[in-house]
Amino acid sequence: MERLPWMTGATAQASLLVSNWMLFAYVGLAVALAVWGLILFASVRWRRRETSTTRLPPQFRNNFALEIAWTVLPLALVCVLFVYTYRAEAGVEALVPAPAVTVAVNGYRWGWTFAYRGGPTVHGSFANLPELVLPLGETTRIVLTSSDVNHSFWIPAFLFKRDAIPGRSSAFDVDPATTGSYIGHCAEFCGYDHALMGFRVKVVAPADFGRWLKSPPT
Amino acid sequence: MSAQAALRPAAPRADLLSWLTTTDHKRIGILYLTTSLFYFGVAGLLAVAIRTQLSRPANTFVDAHTYAQLFTLHGTAMIFLFVAPFALGLANFLLPLQIGAPDMAFPRLNATSYWLFLFGGLIVFSGAATNEGAAANGWTSYAPLSEIKISTGLGQDLWIVGVFLVSVATILTAINFVTTVFVYRAPGMTMWRIPIFTWEMVATSLLIFMAFPALAADLLLLFVDRHLGGHAFDPAGGGSPILYQHLFWFFGHPEVYVMILPYFGVISEIIPVFSRKPIFGYTGLVLAAFAIAGLSMGVWAHHMFTTGAVDDPFFSFMSFLIAVPTGVKFFNWIGTMWRGSISFATPMLFSLGFLLNFLLGGITGVMVASPPIDFQAHQSYFIVAHMHYVLGGGSLFAIFAALFFWWPKMFGRKLNEGLGKLCFWLLFIGFNVTFLPMHVMGLEGMPRRVFTYPDTGHLALLNAIATAGSYVMVAGVLVFVWNVVVSAFDREPVGPDPWHANSLEWATSSPPPEYNFDRLPPIRSERPVFDARHPELKPDATQ
Repeated sequence: MERLPWMTGATAQASLLVSNWMLFAYVGLAVALAVWGLILFASVRWRRRETSTTRLPPQFRNNFALEIAWTVLPLALVCVLFVYTYRAEAGVEALVPAPAVTVAVNGYRWGWTFAYRGGPTVHGSFANLPELVLPLGETTRIVLTSSDVNHSFWIPAFLFKRDAIPGRSSAFDVDPATTGSYIGHCAEFCGYDHALMGFRVKVVAPADFGRWLKSPPT
Repeated sequence: MSAQAALRPAAPRADLLSWLTTTDHKRIGILYLTTSLFYFGVAGLLAVAIRTQLSRPANTFVDAHTYAQLFTLHGTAMIFLFVAPFALGLANFLLPLQIGAPDMAFPRLNATSYWLFLFGGLIVFSGAATNEGAAANGWTSYAPLSEIKISTGLGQDLWIVGVFLVSVATILTAINFVTTVFVYRAPGMTMWRIPIFTWEMVATSLLIFMAFPALAADLLLLFVDRHLGGHAFDPAGGGSPILYQHLFWFFGHPEVYVMILPYFGVISEIIPVFSRKPIFGYTGLVLAAFAIAGLSMGVWAHHMFTTGAVDDPFFSFMSFLIAVPTGVKFFNWIGTMWRGSISFATPMLFSLGFLLNFLLGGITGVMVASPPIDFQAHQSYFIVAHMHYVLGGGSLFAIFAALFFWWPKMFGRKLNEGLGKLCFWLLFIGFNVTFLPMHVMGLEGMPRRVFTYPDTGHLALLNAIATAGSYVMVAGVLVFVWNVVVSAFDREPVGPDPWHANSLEWATSSPPPEYNFDRLPPIRSERPVFDARHPELKPDATQ
């Protein structure tokens, strides 16, 4: 059963991502409601009631203290948000010295190969999508590249993607936190069949992973 | 015939040849506006085809090849041929009038810009008539996908040439705007008295100077790669795909502000008129415009967080900072409405729609400027929602506000108010029904630029809702077209100043004569027409 990738987050890294998402969503919603409220309040409270074409409301403008306040307060707010976002990113992008598993992921038009270091290489097709098998609770290093154009390796349930770029290799770690099956997509437009360039992710218990590594189903 | 009447030039010719050869900034402005609205119509039809294909999972309305051309031409036309050029056309019409000048500084250069723009756009679309079809790599045309090894068709070359011509036209127009504003202002029109719209066009022009040459260079390098044996972006020859993105977004992010600063200007002109108050913080708005322009030159790599090849925290912080001057603008607009006398004529309705929609686009903009959020949102429908709230809910609503507001100045007749309000509500409801669900689609894992998607989660329902919303938007645009037709038969001319407005364009007849002004009122503040209408009040000048 495919899981919905709504703000759950199925890796240790994803819990950092979720709390960052939630912080921004709540702050953003609060700011939006406050400013929408001011706009709608002003529109209703000071709507034109009289029909006179000449009467003017008070012609005031400029308030230095107010203008400083509505510059400095948002500045302080984004500085605080930056501190949180900086910490979350550092945690998500941190690489451990010795990952338990290393998988070389290659994107191509239109599919993926998953080459396990000291293990099998998984291929697939549109009808039979390649499956990335990961051990629960252990660190897997994904080393990503592409053999033709830019692709992007996206697992929505992990709240994470990284671009696969030809001529470059890029690494990140995942620590799956729950067993289950997830879907992955290419997220960077790479030609006509970009939409079909999916893959599967299956997180299994470490013992099952060991068995799979020795004799992967072909 | 009196002596004064005898001195007036003959009425301008109105035949086709006179329009084709015109160097009058107002006619060039109207040509620009008409052409950009034509491209809007085409790009809108492409959008309807896109939404129809996505109305249900595994739909077969169009195939993958056609779909890629649809979203490429939709994005290219909306960005390069509509939202940005509409602002240039509006400024062409308004800038000389707002500063009390008889024309632009370089009228023939101005005409050159228009024709480059028109044919640049047609060249992009002409790709659709080639064997392999039009360009199909998105409006960003990332290399190496757009290299000759993969994109073998002529459509990609026509796209490069067309967009290159449009970018040259844009640079030439920016030179014209800056020169005109700096050199051609009327006596009394100091820099601190020019209308906010004119200020925003100065900031926009400076951004164009810095950004568009990078685009032109990127396109030239791509062309050299494709046909002259270059390897700038080809990793097999030692080139760098990342370089293409750097050059593209060094242009591409300032371009976002090229497409929004002019419309901040439009809103800043309209809200004071319909609130019957001066703009709250004139200096603050001008400084905010230049702060946004300056910061926007240092945020380009926030489009590249997921490459793992850029300094994410630097570009993230610079992007967050843009929220501050943008907030200053919002507070100034609200401050202008505060304790005013607000009427809800169509231009004001669209301006309020702009405020409500753009705010959401701005807030999701701060969200995706946070790399940990962007890792999920990037290239998903969340981004599609975000940028449509900025460019559709923001710029497009300001475009309609501008059309309704300046229509009487351009053509001497108002558009119908009842139909205008119907148009607003259809677009406002249709827009939000279309794009609000896209945030959730992105979070549910739907990538952008896909011609099909699996029937998982709520994707089928959300896409069906979005498609229904897009049809409501079409109805809104059709009501606008009907309004133009109906209003053409309205024989009741408006005076010089039907809205009781502020800036100098309202001091001359509607439409203005070829040379713009018979006489200018004294310019003692940034709202000379208001001062002339209210001699009992002392002019309230910033400086």
